[in-house]
Amino acid sequence: MVIVVGYAPGPPGEAALRRGAEEARLRGARLVVVNSSRGDALVDRRFAQAEDLEQVERTLAAAGVQWSLHQPVRGREASEEIVRAAHEARADLIVIGLRHRSPVGKLLMGSTAQSVLLDAECPVLAVKGER
Amino acid sequence: MDLGPLMEGFATAATPMNLLYATIGVILGTAVGVLPGIGPAMTVALLLPVTYSLPPTSALIMFAGVYYGGMYGGSTTSILLNTPGESSSVVTAIEGNLMAKRGRAAQALATAAIGSFVAGTIGTALLVACAPIVTKFAVSMGAPDYFAVMLLALLAVSAVLGSSRLRGFCSLGLGLAIGLIGLDRVSGQPRLTFGQAELADGIDIVVVAVAIFALGEALWVAAHLRRKAAQIIPVGQPWMGREDWKRSWKPWLRGTAYGFPFGALPAGGAEIPTFLSYITEKRLSKHRDEFGKGAIEGVAGPEAANNASAAGTLVPMLSLGLPTNATAAIMLAALTGFGIQPGPLLFQKEPQLVWGLIASLFIGNALLLLLNLPLAPAWAKLLQIPRPYLYAGILFFASLGAYAVNLQSFDLVLLLVFGLVGFMMRRFGLPILPLIIGVIIGPRIERQLRTALSVAGGDVSTLWSEPLAVGIYVIIAVLLLWPLLVRLLRRNPRRPRFKDA
Amino acid sequence: MTFLRGRAELGVAAFLALVGVVVLVDGLGLPTVSAAADPVGTRPMPLVVGTMLLVCAVFLAVDVVRGGRGEVEGGEDVDLDHPSDWRTVGLLLVAFVANIVLIDRLGFVISGAILFWGSCFALGSRHLVRDPLISVALSLGTFYGFYSGLGIHLPAGVLQGVL
Repeated sequence: MVIVVGYAPGPPGEAALRRGAEEARLRGARLVVVNSSRGDALVDRRFAQAEDLEQVERTLAAAGVQWSLHQPVRGREASEEIVRAAHEARADLIVIGLRHRSPVGKLLMGSTAQSVLLDAECPVLAVKGER
Repeated sequence: MDLGPLMEGFATAATPMNLLYATIGVILGTAVGVLPGIGPAMTVALLLPVTYSLPPTSALIMFAGVYYGGMYGGSTTSILLNTPGESSSVVTAIEGNLMAKRGRAAQALATAAIGSFVAGTIGTALLVACAPIVTKFAVSMGAPDYFAVMLLALLAVSAVLGSSRLRGFCSLGLGLAIGLIGLDRVSGQPRLTFGQAELADGIDIVVVAVAIFALGEALWVAAHLRRKAAQIIPVGQPWMGREDWKRSWKPWLRGTAYGFPFGALPAGGAEIPTFLSYITEKRLSKHRDEFGKGAIEGVAGPEAANNASAAGTLVPMLSLGLPTNATAAIMLAALTGFGIQPGPLLFQKEPQLVWGLIASLFIGNALLLLLNLPLAPAWAKLLQIPRPYLYAGILFFASLGAYAVNLQSFDLVLLLVFGLVGFMMRRFGLPILPLIIGVIIGPRIERQLRTALSVAGGDVSTLWSEPLAVGIYVIIAVLLLWPLLVRLLRRNPRRPRFKDA
Repeated sequence: MTFLRGRAELGVAAFLALVGVVVLVDGLGLPTVSAAADPVGTRPMPLVVGTMLLVCAVFLAVDVVRGGRGEVEGGEDVDLDHPSDWRTVGLLLVAFVANIVLIDRLGFVISGAILFWGSCFALGSRHLVRDPLISVALSLGTFYGFYSGLGIHLPAGVLQGVL
């Protein structure tokens, strides 16, 4: 059993990670953590660096689940990378975090969650970040 | 030293309009300095068409602001991202980024900004001192001397810079050919115009510069866009403790001493003095073990060096009309576009322009310190702009600029053609600078040759009749024969050993 | 044909030779008028430059045949490990040519916006609402900026009268 978690540094990503770890523990599944970047900008704050990854390791070690990390930088949107990873791993569940976006914000900036929900082949669990 | 003209220059530079342009220039300069891939040379080229409707002094003040600003901005990216914003900031990244990783980013940024200010101010003061001297000397130069000096500049840029002299000369040849296009000034004969009326005036340097720098670069990056996603090291306000000040001030001065002369030499550049400064600081430092882990001297010296070299570049540019790097070349092209003849008579004919420019450099340096010291982390946010927008913007402004020159779409076709040439040159390793210098200096060197021979009534020996000219020819010969000399010297069996300092 | 593989730089040599020949031929066509005021005349410079180009072309060809290669320009934004992405370059050129063709007919605002948006698209940005908005804002802004700030009247084209 495979669960894919879409991760980015910040409360939504961390909430998704924790919930994903919990689900994996419950079902005896392994986690595939996806943290991607388009690589368009030189600095991308949503791309996990060393300190973020240490935090990820700690969280997942505490949960005691099997996990692997993928950080593709291929010029594709995060939602596309998550759905792709789920397809390749034949995932049973995708876990993503939700950021609050106003309708205008969604129009201008896009919504990763929305795209994942619409394109995924398996069930999607959307988790709110801690305020 | 008569400071009267300089004071008048301050009066010119301190007018609200010129202050505004200086501010715009330094802001733009810092921004493009921070962003890798875009530099002051390209920015000045893109700004050229905009400036034709501005008074020349204001335009030059803005360009100089961009130039100096680029040197300031490059260090921010080097320190926070380990990616040099400008090629002159490569060395800064070595110790600067290590300092940042150890939590000393604030000190690194502070020493870079303050060192740049110190070096920029001292460098500009040296400019004030040296330029009139060089000018006085230059006025006594005759056409044969000019011919020789320009020849030196052309050859130095082609033969010294870059990995392949041969390709440097290829590039130079192309540049000279482009410079030929148009009606010959003396005789009115059309050359390389192929019957096209639009080419009668020659190809506007703006179009060539923008095409080769901006469009060629954008197309080249498009073909090889590197996808990278890093994070800048978070930092608060830059500041330095007493110990840091003590350790920085001598490297600042030494860096300035390295940078200024190299900037003034043709093909000197800003990279070599920063490297020399780094080695020197490493050798002289009492904290030698810190090098490789984040030593503040390794940031202070090189950053001072690159700013001082920017000031140094202005000496030959203003007093002789000779560009020693791409940005200076384009600024000279701007002068020509305004109908102003660069050269030693510039100080006499356009004192307001020159001294206003120099005075605004002092003001610009101060502005840059104010902009960069507290705001460096904010500038780093620019790095979050996705590259597609940046390069689309370059294409947009390049087209806009080329079109605005004459409001005819023929110039856009030329832009495209030369943009493809620029692309080809980057693909095949032909250096860009010799081409630009060739376009700008080619017509001028021809004019000097013809004047020299016309004055001498056709007697070719006039070219080597002046002692200065002869001296320069000797230098040229050494320059060209250098690889041969090196090979001969290497046959010496006792080779010096280089220890790691 | 394998001899030519990887020797694309010979094309550069050919190009240089071509330019050299053109310059020479054009120069030779110039009249050899020497006035006393101008003993050198208009011919020497083109002849020198043309010859220089031909010589360089020959040397370059020789260098390439012997395996020499120009150093491909690197840079922070450039990733040289992969072959050239011709698709992106091609799309950019399309956007560029579109601007050239349309600027006088449809006006700068439209053609400039097409250029900007086309370039964004070619470089991979796929924000289908945000990009066109930015493009239009940019071209409108520069249109008015050039008009009022610099007094340069960019063509309004189809939107003449609206703007």
